[in-house]
Amino acid sequence: MSSRKVEKIEPIILAIDTSCDDTSVAIVRGEVVLVNIVASQVDLHKQYGGVFPTVAKQAHRENIDPTVKHALKRAGLKMKDITAIGVTVGPGLAPSLEVGINKAKDLAIEFKKPFIAVNHIEGHLLSPLAKRNSISKKAENKNKQSDDIDPKRAAKIKFPVLGVVVSGGHTDFVLIKNFGNYERIGFSIDDAAGECLDKIGRMVYLGYPAGSVIEEFAKKGDENRFKFPLPMTQSKDYNLSFSGLKTFARNLVIKLKQEATIEGKQGLDKQTIYDICASAQHGVFRHILHKLEKVLENENIKELWLGGGVAANVTLRKILRFKANQYGIKFKAPYSSKLCGDNAAMIGLVAAKKFERGDFIIKPADLGKIDRNPKWRVGEKDN
Amino acid sequence: MEIISIKNTNQKNIIDKIVQTLSKGGLVIFPTETTYGAGVDATNQKAVDKLLSYKSRREGKPLSIAVPDQKMAEQYVEINQSALEIYRTFLPGPFTVISKSKGKTAQGVESEFGTLGVRIPDYSLVLDFLNAFNRPVTATSANSSGKKRPYAVDDILNNLSGKQIKLIDLIIDVGELTHNKPSTIIDTTMSAPMTVRQGDRDIESAVKIDQGEVDFISSSEQETKDIAKRLILKNWNQVKKRGLVIGLDGDLGVGKTIFAKGIAEFLQIEGIITSPTYSYVNEYDYIRHNFSGKMYHLDFWKINSKEELERLDFFKIIQPGNVIIVEWWDQINQFVGDDLQTKLIKILISENQAGNRELKIREI
Repeated sequence: MSSRKVEKIEPIILAIDTSCDDTSVAIVRGEVVLVNIVASQVDLHKQYGGVFPTVAKQAHRENIDPTVKHALKRAGLKMKDITAIGVTVGPGLAPSLEVGINKAKDLAIEFKKPFIAVNHIEGHLLSPLAKRNSISKKAENKNKQSDDIDPKRAAKIKFPVLGVVVSGGHTDFVLIKNFGNYERIGFSIDDAAGECLDKIGRMVYLGYPAGSVIEEFAKKGDENRFKFPLPMTQSKDYNLSFSGLKTFARNLVIKLKQEATIEGKQGLDKQTIYDICASAQHGVFRHILHKLEKVLENENIKELWLGGGVAANVTLRKILRFKANQYGIKFKAPYSSKLCGDNAAMIGLVAAKKFERGDFIIKPADLGKIDRNPKWRVGEKDN
Repeated sequence: MEIISIKNTNQKNIIDKIVQTLSKGGLVIFPTETTYGAGVDATNQKAVDKLLSYKSRREGKPLSIAVPDQKMAEQYVEINQSALEIYRTFLPGPFTVISKSKGKTAQGVESEFGTLGVRIPDYSLVLDFLNAFNRPVTATSANSSGKKRPYAVDDILNNLSGKQIKLIDLIIDVGELTHNKPSTIIDTTMSAPMTVRQGDRDIESAVKIDQGEVDFISSSEQETKDIAKRLILKNWNQVKKRGLVIGLDGDLGVGKTIFAKGIAEFLQIEGIITSPTYSYVNEYDYIRHNFSGKMYHLDFWKINSKEELERLDFFKIIQPGNVIIVEWWDQINQFVGDDLQTKLIKILISENQAGNRELKIREI
């Protein structure tokens, strides 16, 4: 490339994520999301109520080529415009990961592009940095100016940042010392927060997955009607545990049903179910908040970032933003709910950072060393 | 197209007019407690095709049906326990309850996976015409796909092409509706148990474990883990020679994963054993006193057929050295039969009045 612009040229990354449900392909320019396509398999999985490994693999295989083409078309770009390829290599379901990795390798070899291996959780961690592509071609210059003026955008990140990832599969506290330098300082030792809410939803027959229904119902309920316990107050570490909340919910539902029977009712009434949802959600978030406070008390945290599927929950955002304000630190969360769920834009963003640090593979011969890494933890040495 | 204003017409005439229009395969725009809906006879293929071209760009998304009561719903979908609870508690109301379809609606109404959403709207006019029509009517919002939510007739008409407007036969105009959200969707098609199923065990299992004596009472997580460790120590030769399957049952939150954690501690697996619900299968390598193998931790609450079991390579992982821990064993007991080439230990965990865990253990 022979651009003579004085300003820094941001890498344009084509990113692929096939770590579980969704085949996702995105194109980003640095932190700016140009396209973020999630070819949802949710319907396909609904009959299994989760991620069924073999089904997922098959569906990813069918989806991956058209999704890549669609992404390029939507961005109005050709492969020659792409600087590098980024792909999730873990953690996730092994058969699903394989589909994305193979596609990324093929593209890297065919078009002679650098290949960047990305950790899915690092994607969630950095997802709050993603920026909208509100800049149409015409308004580009005008917007660039306002970007510079906007203090929120222009302000330099202050490390260390505490990254909180809350989803159906993860509940993690990660110390972000710098880009590429992470330490997982706390995590759930049993169920993930989203999974716990799903299971409580099952107990009151809200179907599956129940997470979004619970959020909806919680708005109509009284979060103080049932006092869920605060788990792990004795432990000094930053780990979380949700199984006690699950057990409490189970016993609560049994007790309430017995009371309803004595009163001659058929089962729980509407308001009681709303109140259970509100109280359970409150219990889960209170636990996260309690441990978060512990981290903020003891560690020298400068910013708080939230990512992961449950980050789309408005109440959780509100609670964390409030807490960040109390500690006088900046709070960031993804700009859209699409960026909270599994998506490739966040993978592209991580890949762009890695590209800038020179953390990529160029020689096709070296690609053979890259393999799926289903249990890759953020903070462990890159493979 | 005819627009009837509800103010100037008596209720009986409106109902008659709607029923006539629907009977002829017509498309009716009507108010509900959420938004204006677009309805056609859900059993009439031509009418449904007309609705689909009205909505445009559905991309295979299914429609739902509106019925006046549970009785009619039962003719079109299979209502399981979970759905029954929702019907009883929340309907009529702004909810769409998804169940397995009986395949009696026109093509394009149910999903490609054979599921169907059912609405019983909390709106007397709608319930009245549904009762009079005596067939289900499609329940979809009256806007063209991807357009503004229709709270007023103008919202609809201003966003339609001339071609689309021509497809409408009748509009019932009650003015602007309260801006309520679209219905909440509750998918009840997962037939998985909330609690251990009594019936299946009596029929399928040779050992009626739940009626037997309690083998252990545990008052703490640590005690439950210790019981698990003793159990596997006792069966250690079996693990080495042929592998071992441990089938766990018990309600949500009773401590099945705690038991698995005990086994992992015995196998000296470092790191934390987390729930496999989301991933179906968690795999761990272990080395205990120079003997190595794998521990598999599985969650089968979503498994409903032998085919699914085989897809997860369940029978292939039963190997010498491997410990296979299955949560919700009773989900698959009937599919395993004689195919299990090794010893099975079934464990039922329950909570007693005092809040302690009772464990019943049977070696098969």
